[in-house]
This record gives sequence, structure tokens and C-alpha cells, in this order.
Amino acid sequence: MRLDIGKMGDHVQKYASDNDMNLKNSFWKKNIRNLPGRASPKKESKSVSSSASTSFDDFQESVSDAWEIEAEDEILRISARECANSAHPPASSCYRNRFPYDVKISKRVAHSAAVNVINNHKASIEEIHKSKNYSNSDLQGESSSQTYKESRHTENRINFSNSEVDTNKLTKFQVLLESNLLQLEDLKKLSWSGVPVEVRPMTWRLLAGYLPTSSERRQQALDRKRIDYANLVKQYYDTDKDEVYKDTYRQIHIDIPRMSTPLFQQTTVQEMFERILFIWAIRHPASGYVQGMNDLVTPFYVVFLQEYLPIGTNIEKLDVSSISKKNRDSLEADSFWCLSKFLDGIQDNYIFAQLGIQYKVNQLKELIQRIDGTLHGHLMKHGIDYLQFSFRWMNNLLTRELPLRCSIRLWDTYLAESDCFATFQLYVCAAFLLHWRQELLEEKDFQGLMIMLQNLQTQNWTDTDISLLVAEAYRLKFTFADAPNHLTTKR
Amino acid sequence: MGTGDEEYDYLFKVVLIGDSGVGKSNLLARFTRNEFNLESKSTIGVEFATRSIKVNKKIIKAQIWDTAGQERYRAITSAYYRGAVGALLVYDIAKQLTYQNVERWLSELRDHADQNIVIMLVGNKSDLRHLRAVPADEATAFAEANNLSFIETSALDSTNVETAFENILTEIHRKVSARQMDSMDGDEIDKVCMKPIRIDATTANTNDSAAFQIKQFCCNASA
Repeated sequence: MRLDIGKMGDHVQKYASDNDMNLKNSFWKKNIRNLPGRASPKKESKSVSSSASTSFDDFQESVSDAWEIEAEDEILRISARECANSAHPPASSCYRNRFPYDVKISKRVAHSAAVNVINNHKASIEEIHKSKNYSNSDLQGESSSQTYKESRHTENRINFSNSEVDTNKLTKFQVLLESNLLQLEDLKKLSWSGVPVEVRPMTWRLLAGYLPTSSERRQQALDRKRIDYANLVKQYYDTDKDEVYKDTYRQIHIDIPRMSTPLFQQTTVQEMFERILFIWAIRHPASGYVQGMNDLVTPFYVVFLQEYLPIGTNIEKLDVSSISKKNRDSLEADSFWCLSKFLDGIQDNYIFAQLGIQYKVNQLKELIQRIDGTLHGHLMKHGIDYLQFSFRWMNNLLTRELPLRCSIRLWDTYLAESDCFATFQLYVCAAFLLHWRQELLEEKDFQGLMIMLQNLQTQNWTDTDISLLVAEAYRLKFTFADAPNHLTTKR
Repeated sequence: MGTGDEEYDYLFKVVLIGDSGVGKSNLLARFTRNEFNLESKSTIGVEFATRSIKVNKKIIKAQIWDTAGQERYRAITSAYYRGAVGALLVYDIAKQLTYQNVERWLSELRDHADQNIVIMLVGNKSDLRHLRAVPADEATAFAEANNLSFIETSALDSTNVETAFENILTEIHRKVSARQMDSMDGDEIDKVCMKPIRIDATTANTNDSAAFQIKQFCCNASA
């Protein structure tokens, strides 16, 4: 029986890849094998336990049951239909026929998955919570008391003490990082739910693909890359700038001092950012500098900056020029290279007309329409255009919507998603919008909605909120990303 | 915040355009919230705010769209010109280049906005007297030649910010009233306006966010 389901599943997959080789499909079908929740011929069935299963692995294992336990019949039915239809490409009538089945499956999967995600994340959040929110206390003191309060709530649900959980996670990271040949996949799994502040700089470098997995080559590579960057600065920045690049420079020069926080009022910091962005822009002529990119440097910069400071230093009051020139150069080079790697995956966001963003905004719209017709209808009724609010979410990867400490936590997950983070970000945006569902439904006119959407109140958000956000995004992704017919892109 | 359901007679959509860093967002913040922020972040895409004022005993609700100045965003921002009945074209009096680019912004408007859009040229940062790079009379002459109204403002010290918005909203109101007269009573037109001007009203139901919505027509005013 199970084997049959597996075959059917493969058939569906094959059918899809044979028939829909278009852009839409390759988008949704990306990384299909890694998606939990998909029927697999694996016989072994693990019981879903609500007890603290902490690793990403356990999570994956547990959600693969979602199909087997409840949705068996549904899978057979949909598979049969898929088979019947597979001779012809899915015409719209066909699509409509399948529609109710899809709904049924997605609801079931969604439900069981939600339970799993919640159970799993309860556990991981406790863990995260226990880790004291370093970045939180570094960056903004006011909300740490709240975090503390929240973590006290969870205290009686787990058996070990703060420091133990804290140390456990940190130890896992340290063991991984110190191994001779790092298993990048393991590091990604571990990082997905948040990286401890102590190991974040090195973890980010590895996740970004900036450093090699072999530990003995790491320092050598780091040194070489830093020299490479110094040469780029000499080549592009210190020389007379071409007329073409003067516009780019001017734009960057206008934007950097406008970065609000005291840290960015320091000339030293401003110059570092200007060099990073200017050189990136010159080396990526198809996109060049786009306003908002400066915000994308910040998480890298702040994380690497902390490497040169005692943990707990308030960076807002820090005089960056007090750090040695050598360390500042390293900090700048690392920020540059990691930014470059990071942006590689989303370059189409910043090309002419920002087509990548326009495309994703459309996908967001279709996703919300599919997941939450009520909210979508409400937004439509009041004339809200998704582009009006979600453009900035996509362009700045939510950095404008979240406090910096939360952006950093979110980037743990983005970096752990590596190549797929562009796709994942769409689901994060969807989860983010759905988070405000109730408040949005209470707004009764266009202006109220727009103003709310542009000023979502996240000032008091902590790592917990981000963990819940990415968990929800993950749930949405495996429910919808693997079901292209759930989302038919209108052309 | 000034959202909500307060009554208004007219809803006018106005866009703020101009080069990066000329102070568009601060003009908007000053007008809608009486705030000013020396280091306000660059605008990404578009941002929105609203404020109601009284003109000729009518309540006018201004729906103002602040746009990003960088050229790269032009494709996105120009979509917001649609349905706009007014535009504040802003430059920085201390930066010659931002004034030179006014021509380019005008042609943007010609390409993407309604041909009857009311345009006001705004020389912002008038507090920077010692750094002035664009003489006021030069801008005045340019505005006259191009049929634009002109004003110098300072979002920092508030000079003329209210006046700028009041003027453009009054001007839009004048045009709209003239149009309503036109549709209502042809003989009345000449007294109000030399030529009838057509500006399409959008209904509340369109997807265009009621960009230009007339809630109450003159003919109902006696009620």
C-alpha cells in the first residue's frame, strides 16, 4: 500500500516535471526532494511525539507522517486524477475539477503540519528563549524585560536549566565548527532555528559560502579574501571615479548618512558602507546600487562587528574608530563578501524595473488569495494593491519592518536556507502579512489599512516572534510550494 | 492617527516627486504629522499619508503618495501617478543638480500622469540660505514658462509647507468645481474658470484606491 503511494507520488512528480517546464513550475518545484510532507516510499513510520524533539531532522521526520497518517485516501484520489489527466496538460477546466481535492489535502496537511510545527517550535523556542537573547540586550535594552517575562512562562515546561540548553546548542555549534571537514548541511539544519551570538560570525561566513568547509583552509581563505577586497578598494574606490559611476557614488553618499541610528552617524562607518556598496555596484552592473541595499549590509556589519567586542557591548554607543585598522578592514571585507554571496540569490530583485520583486509581489498576492480569501478580499475591497506595501518588504527583506535584532535572527534562517532563500522569503512575507490579519480586518478603509501596513508595530518583537514567523513560513512553503496547482500564476 | 472615517467632501490624490534627498518625505511628515527628522531614511518604493484641510468651506482629504527618488524605482513609482490630480515636484535649493533634473521629472509626468494634473514646483530647504545654489527668480521664471505654480519651502523650519499644500489643493478644488459647474450648468462656467477642464472622477469601487473621488457634488450641497 505505502509503496503504491510512493509510486503515485513519483508519478505526480514526473508528470509535473515533464509537462510544466515553464518558469512558474521550476519556481515551485525547486528543491522538491527536501520537502517534508511529501509521500515517500520509506516504510519506517515514526510516531509523532509532542515531546521536545529539538532538531530540524526530527521536525522533518515528524512532518513526513502528515501524508501517511491522515491523507492517504486523498493522495490516492488526487494521484488517480493526476494520472488520468497526465495525458493532457492541465487545462483550466481540469484545474477547476481538481480544485476541491487540492483544498482538502492542503487543509489536512496544513492541520497536521501545524500541530507538528507548533510542537516542534515550542521546544525550539524554549531553547532559543533560554539563550538569553544576546543580540536583544546588545541592541535594545527596553524589550529585554519582556523577553525575560515570556521566558519565565515557558520555564516550567522544560526540565533543564537555562544554561544547560544554552550550552547544549552552543556546544553543538562548536563541535560542528571545529570539525576538520564541516558538514554544511548539518550547520544549516542547526542554524535554521537561530544561531548563538558567540558563534554567529563564523557560522554566517560558512553559511554564506564565503569560507570553505575544510577547517584547515579556512584561515588561509579568509586572509586571501581580505586582501582581495583591499585590492578592489584600491582599484575602484581610491582611483578617480568614472563619470558613469559618479551617479552611483552620489546616490550612496546621500543614503548612508540617512541611516538614522547613531552608529551610522560616524564618518568611519559611513565610509566603510560607501566602499562596500560602491564596489558591489560596480561589480554588478546589471543591477547597480539600489536604495535600500544599505540596509542589507547592516546585519552583516553588526554581526561581524560584535566579533571584535566583548559580548554585551552596546554598539549604539560604540566609537568604531576605536577598533584597530586591521580589524576594521577585516570587518569591512567580510561584510562585503557575505553581502555579495547573499545578494547573488536575489539579483533579479534589483535589475531594471525590479522585475524579480514585481514577480514575487504577484506571487504573494496569489498565495494570500489562496490561503486566506477573507483577508485578500478585504484588502481588495478597499483598493489595496499588494505592491503598495510589500514592495518594501521584498526590496529590503523586511529590514525596514523589523528591529535590527530581529532582522539578524531572521537572517540566521535566510542564510541557512541558502540558495532557496529567495523562495522562502516569499513565504516569510506571506506569514508576516497573515500575522496582522485580525488588526487588518478591523481597519475599515483604505487609508487605515495603508497606514497600518506601512507601520506594523514590531518594536517589541523578540527572537521568539521571528521563530514563529519562520515556522509559519515553513509550514506555508511545504503546503503550497510543492503544489503548483494551488497557485496558478496568471499571466 | 488621522485615518478613520471622518467626513470629507473631496478626496484628492497628490504625488510627491523629485530627486533623492530633496526632502519629499520630510515635507510629507511636516504636513501630515508636523514632524521633521534630519536623518529620515530613504523612501523605498512609495509611502503614503493623508490629511484633511478646509478649503472654501469644503473638507478636502489629501491622499499623498511620497515616492522614492532614485531612478531605479521609476518603473514602480510611475504606476502611482495614475489617478493623481496633483503633483509637488520638489528640488533642493542648495543643490543645482536637483533643479536641473526638474525637466526630466516633468517629462515623467507628461508620460505617466493625467494631462490635467496640477503641478507645483517646490524649492525645498529654504532655510539653507547660505548654501543657495538655485536663485528664486530663476525658478519663478521657469515655473511661469511651464505653467506651474512655484513656492519655496522649508520642511525643517516649517516655512510655507502648509501654504504649499493648501495652494495646490485649492487649485485642484478650483478645477474640479469648474468641471462640476460644467456638467451642471453651462452658463456658470465662465464666471468660475476661463475654460472647462476635464478631470475624471474615479469611483470608490475601482481598484485604483479611490484616487480621485468626489463624495458630494455641488448639486447636493443644499441638502
